Amino acid sequence: MDNLDNRLVRCFSSVFPDLNEDQIRNASVDSVSAWHSLASVTLIALLQEEFGLQVNLADLPNLVSFSAVQNYVRHHHVAS
Amino acid sequence: MKLIDALAIIRRPLAEDAPLLRGFLACGFTSLHLQTFLTARLRERSPLERVEVTTGLFGDLAGNIERIQIADCDVLVVAIEWQDLDLRLGIRNLGGWRVADLPDIVNSAERMIARLEKAIRNVAGSVPVYISLPTLPLPPLFTTPSVQASVYELQLRQFVTTFAASLATHPRIRFLNAQQLDECSPPSARLDVQSELLSGFPYQLPHASVLAELLAVLVRNPTAKKGLITDLDDTLWAGILGENGVDGISWHLEKAHIHGLYQQFLASLASAGVLIAVASKNDPALVEQAFEREDLLIDKRSLYPIDVHWGPKSESVRRILKTWNIAPDAVVFIDDSPMELAEVKAAFPEIECLLFPKADWQALWQLLRRLRDLFGKAVISDEDSIRLDSIRAAAALQHSSNGGGTSLDKFLEDAHASVVITFGKENEDHRAFELINKTNQFNLNGKRLNETAWRAYLSDPTTFLMGVSYEDKYGALGKIAILLGGLQGTSARINYWVMSCRAFSRRIEQRCLSWLFEHFDLQEISFDYQPTDRNKPIQDFLSNITAAPLNSDVRVSRMSFLEKCPPLSHHTKAMVNVNG
Repeated sequence: MDNLDNRLVRCFSSVFPDLNEDQIRNASVDSVSAWHSLASVTLIALLQEEFGLQVNLADLPNLVSFSAVQNYVRHHHVAS
Repeated sequence: MKLIDALAIIRRPLAEDAPLLRGFLACGFTSLHLQTFLTARLRERSPLERVEVTTGLFGDLAGNIERIQIADCDVLVVAIEWQDLDLRLGIRNLGGWRVADLPDIVNSAERMIARLEKAIRNVAGSVPVYISLPTLPLPPLFTTPSVQASVYELQLRQFVTTFAASLATHPRIRFLNAQQLDECSPPSARLDVQSELLSGFPYQLPHASVLAELLAVLVRNPTAKKGLITDLDDTLWAGILGENGVDGISWHLEKAHIHGLYQQFLASLASAGVLIAVASKNDPALVEQAFEREDLLIDKRSLYPIDVHWGPKSESVRRILKTWNIAPDAVVFIDDSPMELAEVKAAFPEIECLLFPKADWQALWQLLRRLRDLFGKAVISDEDSIRLDSIRAAAALQHSSNGGGTSLDKFLEDAHASVVITFGKENEDHRAFELINKTNQFNLNGKRLNETAWRAYLSDPTTFLMGVSYEDKYGALGKIAILLGGLQGTSARINYWVMSCRAFSRRIEQRCLSWLFEHFDLQEISFDYQPTDRNKPIQDFLSNITAAPLNSDVRVSRMSFLEKCPPLSHHTKAMVNVNG
């Protein structure tokens, strides 16, 4: 697991403190009841803070799972 | 503080019985990360306290304040933004920015300010309120270019300033200083347009973090220092007295002006009740002459004690602390010599030692700002204005009782002491609250009360609050003792008992118990006693009147007390309101 992954898990863990690492890696809007709109906004703020990302409004509907967020961060973090 | 750190702080475990601070964050925007940061910052400042911050409805700041359940709230924090005064002053609403709309926007904002003022005053009757005025820029709705202030903008700012100036006179309302916020959070880096439009949270994260931090400091402000010890040469004045002579030292000339500023600042501190003393390696006779100069900006009578000799400065500091009878951690020492600062710091690690920057004007500005923070108090009390006089009186009393060959009985009789006892509960008794939370030596158990616990204690119908003020021919000491407890039949239980160290050796503690025994015809008084590192004076007192080893349930019978109580010569006046 690379450093970026660790940081991403830490962000998720801050928003969903009851999930362990395996559960975080498999987390999605459908599988985690605590993943509501407020949690999404907090998660986006953490990504912004941790990775210096400015998440585009149009991308939000796609960020519905850990792997989707992971891909998004990898793509935009590398590009930045 | 980053958001991820704030979330971690909030989730730190605490003891289940940890005291709880219940805050209400009133804002018209989505509270989101401001709520998180505020909770974390409050936890950070009171690590042993549980903190719960709740919020109200989106878009209804005034309604949120009006709906507060006072019984469920210990502190109210209000974060006002322009859109709370009129939605058209934000960017989420599309109500119109036409020229014809501007007078109506201003009028509606004025009406909302009046509503907010009424709601806040109502809450402040019971709960402390901490307010930040609009921190975000006004949107570009005015017709003038940005460089020119529009008359409507000026009117809006005037309404807000008038509102704040009016409310700030209320003892339970405090405003965040906009100048301090500007220094910590650049105004141009506060608004997050996307976040505002996406989630209704208008702040960039760093601004939310800073705003929460400053609000938390306002809510849980640090205890102010009590005394400042200053050097003289190249500190209080420019020049070396022994070399330049009395007329050679200066503070007015261009190069010496920073010393004038420093004197003026010390005079300001002294006028607010801060104790100022001098520790100087100098010729005492020369110093005496120097203080005769009429152009000094600080009155010599504001400086006490003035300790001048050629020995180590730590000796001076030791004597000054003894005269003041305060702990080193309540004191700041200022000198232009790093060596002297190090010597004092080695002897008293708890003292805050600060260098006087005699050649760095900018550093002087920072020093004065730092001192204002260290000594700043939310409220100046009557006791602050008489503190120095009472310390001088205590020294005179000590001198007289030691040196005159007179017994303490005779001396106290000649002092024409009068004691005023108030027995009844007042929520607004700021002095009583202050004494409970800062007194260390004559303190029954060292327990402190936060505002929540204070209000809860006073609202309990079975408890009493007894305050004691003292005056004698040497001067007034003001309110110097507080007892909190309960009465049951012919016995009383004292839960809290503190007395200012300025009031020692006047038999006021005996008078307190004597009055309780007599007035309520009590047969026994028990004490919720606990030893602390610093409460030896009350340990000695209780040991003396019980003549038994002290435990957590000290009991004193009326008979035992009367046997051991020395003669009390105070003239005593009592104001009793048992139901109050």
